[in-house]
Amino acid sequence: MAADVEILSRRGRVTRLALAVYGTLIYVFLFGPIVLLVLFSFNANRYGTFPVTAWTLKWYRAAVSDYQIHDAVATTLKVAGEVTAISVVVGTTAAFPLVRSRLRWRDGVRVGLVLPIMIPGLLIGVSLLVLFTGPLHWQLSPQTAVIGQSVYTTPFVILLVSARLQGFDRALERAAADLGANAFNRLRFVVLPLILPAIIAGALLAFTLSLDEFIITYFLIGTNITLPIFIYTQIKFGITPEVNALASMLLAASLLVLALAFALPQVIRASRRAVRFGTGRRAARITA
Amino acid sequence: MTDAATTVPTAERRRRVLPAVASYLPFLPAIVLLGGFFLVPLGIIVCYSFWEVVDYNVVHRWTLDNYHYFFSVTAYVRTMWATLWVSLVATGITLGLAFPFAYWLSRYVPRRLRAPLLVLAVVPFWTSYLLRVYSWLTILGQKGLLNRFLQWTGMTHHPIGLFLYDRSAVILVLIYLYFPFAALTLYSSIERFDWDQLRAAMDLGATPFGAIRRILVPQIRPGIVTAVIFVFIPILGEYLTPQIVGGTGGVMIGNLVVNFFQAAEYTRGAAVSLLIAIFILLMLVLFRRSLSTREAYGG
Repeated sequence: MAADVEILSRRGRVTRLALAVYGTLIYVFLFGPIVLLVLFSFNANRYGTFPVTAWTLKWYRAAVSDYQIHDAVATTLKVAGEVTAISVVVGTTAAFPLVRSRLRWRDGVRVGLVLPIMIPGLLIGVSLLVLFTGPLHWQLSPQTAVIGQSVYTTPFVILLVSARLQGFDRALERAAADLGANAFNRLRFVVLPLILPAIIAGALLAFTLSLDEFIITYFLIGTNITLPIFIYTQIKFGITPEVNALASMLLAASLLVLALAFALPQVIRASRRAVRFGTGRRAARITA
Repeated sequence: MTDAATTVPTAERRRRVLPAVASYLPFLPAIVLLGGFFLVPLGIIVCYSFWEVVDYNVVHRWTLDNYHYFFSVTAYVRTMWATLWVSLVATGITLGLAFPFAYWLSRYVPRRLRAPLLVLAVVPFWTSYLLRVYSWLTILGQKGLLNRFLQWTGMTHHPIGLFLYDRSAVILVLIYLYFPFAALTLYSSIERFDWDQLRAAMDLGATPFGAIRRILVPQIRPGIVTAVIFVFIPILGEYLTPQIVGGTGGVMIGNLVVNFFQAAEYTRGAAVSLLIAIFILLMLVLFRRSLSTREAYGG
């Protein structure tokens, strides 16, 4: 790359500058609407847009004290919790045979398992609606929404955990077996701790996706409402500052969970490395 | 292998087959969830689309009426073509915008800044989809930023609805929604490109654009195809964006599906859903050679 700089002609410098400006504009495009939304949530003007008359927190207070929002938050969290539990268990168990068993059509099976990600949520929603209300005669409830969301979130867990299992050194398990660990103990004390970062990342991802999921839930939850559905019913009539405040809080929440999803696995890995390194040094000191 | 298997005694074969079956056992929950609640319902949708509704009850009588009906209403057929058109245009522009961005990120940005800048571009993709559509109302809406700006400059005195509630607003928001995904996919394939090849081509007399078109683009084709497919497919089934910013002019095929189901016309809704599914299948079959799920999801 250093040689590149010397070769750079005037045209090269112009290209570099033009692309840098372009890149910056892209970030403005990506974050502009979100930043404006957050900005307007602090604006006293009750139209929820410009002009900014004064800064205020009253829309946040209004949103936080709205009992309809309380209900929606409770339902959303309950659904997200159940979806996370189902997708982690189902996704993690499915990742093992996907990576380890002798599958003839491994790529085909993989594509089949992640197909729900590729199909628009709309189709998952309507097809499950038909199944539940038609042949099964189930009452629509938060539980039916949980099933629908799990269909969509489980493949993400499968992808994350199977990627981690792929890089897994099976010699570790053989070593544990040689030392007398049975299958359960090998799983409990060797495999699970090592793939834990991927499981945690998968859980947090499933949780975020569930928090924000709209279309599948819209069809399957019946008369209950989650936060996205509440917001949707509000914005049919345009922008309101309360929704701006609610939206900002929701954005902050999903960013927080996302940051955890990225940071936690690394923290776990780093702390484990630190422990290993520490014990290694201690052992070296003792032998010395 | 087959010869050996036929001569193996039964007990021996059972000893070999049982562990194999046991090793597939962990698939069971996934098969129940994804088979029972994904594949089976899709199968039911296929059946429904060929059945008919009599007095609000679905009757198991095979017919093509639902499809006949759909194609006999001009507005529906026009919506179908419009949906394909919107998907094509939005996908084209999204990739057109994402390519120079990915090119810049992988070639001109210092190495240590690349990962954080990439994450920054992808973060919006993981935040709420609904809220990202909604955030455009603050810009395009009646009292949105654009109208306020135009009134302030004196170009108009009354807010104009022009920015909202039509097809171009839908396309703009779709580009906004799917740009991060296209950028990520293109970046991850451009990143592996050896820039010396481009320099060599230019030493041999290629123009910069010629070198990009003939050396870089062919090598990252799988990435491009993956980006095209995974931007195009979700747009085909889009519901929220046209609903919120599209108005009557921006209606897409997904809105038709929802309207049919909300009117309890299940079989007609199923037929339209199947049309969407057929378009998706066509895309996947057409591009299956160069498609790579690894590229898209790092799986």
